[in-house]
Amino acid sequence: MKVQVVLLIAKQFFNKTFYSKGLLGLLAVFISVLIYVTIDGWNAYENNHHITEHHQDKARKSWEDNPDKHPHRMAHFGTFAFREQHPLTIFDSGIESYTGNAIFLEAHRQNTANFSEASLSTGLVRFGDLNIAMLLQLILPLIVFFVGYSAITSEKENGTLKIYYTQGINMKDILFGKSVGLFLVSTLFFIPGLIALWSITIIQDDVLNSSIVMRALMISVFYILFYLILSFTTVLISGKSTNSNRSLLTLLGGWLLFFIIIPKTSQVIGNSLYPNLSKIAFRAAVEEEVSKQGDSHNPNDPYFNRLKDSILKIHNVTDVKELPFNYSGFLMSKGEEQTASIYNKQQKKLIDSYKNQNSIANGLVMLNPYLAIKNLSMSLSGTDFNTYVSFLNQTEDYRYKQSQYMNELQMKFISNKAKSSEGKVHVVKKEYWQSAPRFSYQFITVSQTIRNQFSALASLVFWFFVLLLITVKFSNRFKII
Amino acid sequence: MYKLLVKQFFRSKTVLLAFSILLVLGALSITTGKQFLTQKQVAVEQTIEQQKKHIETQVELHKTDIGLLLYYLKFSFVKPLEPIAGIAIGQSDVNSHIQNVKILNLEGQKYDTDLVNPMRLQVGNLDFSFLIIFLFPLVIIALNFNLLSDEEEKGTWKMVILQGSSPIKYLLTKLSIRFAFVLVVFFILLTSAKIFLSIPLNANFWHITIISLLYVVFWFAVSLIVILKRRSSNANAIILLTSWLVLVVFLPVLVNNYITNKYSVEEAFTMTIKQRDEYHKKWDTDKKATMDKFYKHYPQFKHYKLQEKGFSWLWYYAMQQMGDDESRIERDLMNEKIRKREQLGKTIAKFFPPLQVQLSMNSIAKTSLCDHMNFLNATSDFHEKLRLDFYPKIFDNVNAETVNWKKYKPEYYNNLRVTNIFKKSLPIIIITLMLFGLSFIIAKKNF
Repeated sequence: MKVQVVLLIAKQFFNKTFYSKGLLGLLAVFISVLIYVTIDGWNAYENNHHITEHHQDKARKSWEDNPDKHPHRMAHFGTFAFREQHPLTIFDSGIESYTGNAIFLEAHRQNTANFSEASLSTGLVRFGDLNIAMLLQLILPLIVFFVGYSAITSEKENGTLKIYYTQGINMKDILFGKSVGLFLVSTLFFIPGLIALWSITIIQDDVLNSSIVMRALMISVFYILFYLILSFTTVLISGKSTNSNRSLLTLLGGWLLFFIIIPKTSQVIGNSLYPNLSKIAFRAAVEEEVSKQGDSHNPNDPYFNRLKDSILKIHNVTDVKELPFNYSGFLMSKGEEQTASIYNKQQKKLIDSYKNQNSIANGLVMLNPYLAIKNLSMSLSGTDFNTYVSFLNQTEDYRYKQSQYMNELQMKFISNKAKSSEGKVHVVKKEYWQSAPRFSYQFITVSQTIRNQFSALASLVFWFFVLLLITVKFSNRFKII
Repeated sequence: MYKLLVKQFFRSKTVLLAFSILLVLGALSITTGKQFLTQKQVAVEQTIEQQKKHIETQVELHKTDIGLLLYYLKFSFVKPLEPIAGIAIGQSDVNSHIQNVKILNLEGQKYDTDLVNPMRLQVGNLDFSFLIIFLFPLVIIALNFNLLSDEEEKGTWKMVILQGSSPIKYLLTKLSIRFAFVLVVFFILLTSAKIFLSIPLNANFWHITIISLLYVVFWFAVSLIVILKRRSSNANAIILLTSWLVLVVFLPVLVNNYITNKYSVEEAFTMTIKQRDEYHKKWDTDKKATMDKFYKHYPQFKHYKLQEKGFSWLWYYAMQQMGDDESRIERDLMNEKIRKREQLGKTIAKFFPPLQVQLSMNSIAKTSLCDHMNFLNATSDFHEKLRLDFYPKIFDNVNAETVNWKKYKPEYYNNLRVTNIFKKSLPIIIITLMLFGLSFIIAKKNF
């Protein structure tokens, strides 16, 4: 391969395209839309951040404002966790519109995360989300196809390909040069997108534990790889096609298939192969397991009665009232422990069935680089499925600890003579409410994300090398005429 | 002549490809709809069974204390889905169709979501409405983009002109063959959907049919304009696909984004905190103040007096009631925001047929946001009815065993809303007529 020739062809393609009618206009439109989308997404993020923070503080304040009261009242007073967005939501909002934003955390009840954006939206929400990633993943590939479909075929049609050949330039150089040229054209479009990404990164750098620089770095690398793949694919298809017409139709058909039909169909098939439990069935499963193991709310439950007997025996007393700690606090802490573990088991099953539903689409990342970049982009932006599952797990963990904290307070400070949690008699000092930790949400780490999305990463690298290989090794199979 | 044109049409590979893609995805869409309806139906049956079991166990456990019993008891309220919802799933997969409520503070209960994979929601359903809105235009484009340019590029157009017949008439004949083909495919799919989903042949069914057909005609009008401009096949393909991208992908996303950001519903958070605080505060405030508010809301319960000391269910349920009563302003603000979103969406959609078709189909199939909001309101009525039924029983402390629990079965929401098909289709008709008018002018100029 002659590097000089390749660069010359690349430059020639770039110049020819750059000065062709309409490209600058298209670029101007693209960049204006990009700027609009960035500013708009940024405002939405800031707004959401503000709302979340404001309500989190408000909920905390009313928690701390509680007077001295019975700890079980506080256990039911509960806390709210409002989901914080990762600043890179501005870049790729992933499944953000469909995930619950507020969850109420109280003793012995696991509530659902509610008020997702979609649940408050009209049917229009289903057309998709507007963000930088959508422009880069869906629209820009189509522009690359439009620009590059005739890269080789037009030379064939004009008869200039033969001239190249007679001058000693082989097909390899031409394919390589055109691909590089097309990639350079695509940089005109995607570099502004990456500039938007890096402005978010630099300005939102102060958001805690977001490891935003690392994420932005990887996102940039993966998108560059993605456009290299697209450029090489376009030129190869143009080289394989007999005329421009066919080349264009193949690319457009490919776009529809790989970018629209396969992603949607694979998810739909996944859902129908692995249906998940409905809420009612889920709850019934939990309740059944609870009643099998023992229901702490049932005064005649054999399991908890045995527990009581053994406790009485250990402490050598005949009545729970004589125990050195508050018995109903103890009973509730045992009940909480048991129901939480049953719930977590069911919840894990549910998440596993979701994962199975996603497995078809995730399994196709190797065959479809679009799915690969889509998954990488949203997981590195902290807006993917795994991030949400981690949020749910963290809230449940917090809920459990908080309930047990209240049960401990009750065991320690509430007399066994207390009959109800009402009034000012059997209370715990309000300082204890303030010393309960706040809910602090942690995004999953970048290394975990990469482990989750390893196949997507591998797919991009694999595709890139396969295309290089085809260009370099099999170029003699491309016809000149 | 017509016969030959039909023959020529069916020789093209595109036709076979379009036909098979539509059939395969059509089958998938009908399966999706069927599975969706079945899952929802199964959930309803489970609810009926579960409620019976639930009431029996809880009554057994807490029969001595009806106040405590009703602290635990849940009652279900169901929004049944019509079979036609399998065609346009709309927002009915995001929003729960079954409510399970205790007679406690309702606002803390009624927004509980269903268990759905968020990835699934994000990718969206491949239902019949998706097929119509996204894929039919693509097929129409694929069939029509080179209607004229192909003949010009192959040199056959000159021969057509030489035949002496009107070129416009010739083009329209070719177009009509493609239109007929699309119609046949459409009716094959619609009929299969009708049979497999057991959709009754009622007004809703015909409304969906009308709106879909209008949309198909709209895309034929768009194609016709581009064809008549007499550009090359490649240019036509690029222009038509770009129009599709802008109309079906980009603009809807832009519009939705605009609406979402214009009316952000932060009141939902405010309301949910408020309803909790208002109930819980009452544990620490003067009982009399709470009771006065409760008596004001329900004067009929004034004769139930609060005992001097200790815990009483009358006070407890009055406190719970305050969670709902005193978060009313926030709730109304939230609902108003949602209505505004709905309203703005409807207004903008009038100018863009894909949006109009999506919203109309959801509305006809009763799977729209509006239907869900109505269901939530009906849930409040259902809940109020339960409260009025049980409050006196609790305050009188009746023996739980004297209550006829068997009659507490899940109840159904009866959605009587009818859609005005004329109002919904008029914007599309006007836009399509304008496009045809425009193509008439272009044809005059170019031929």
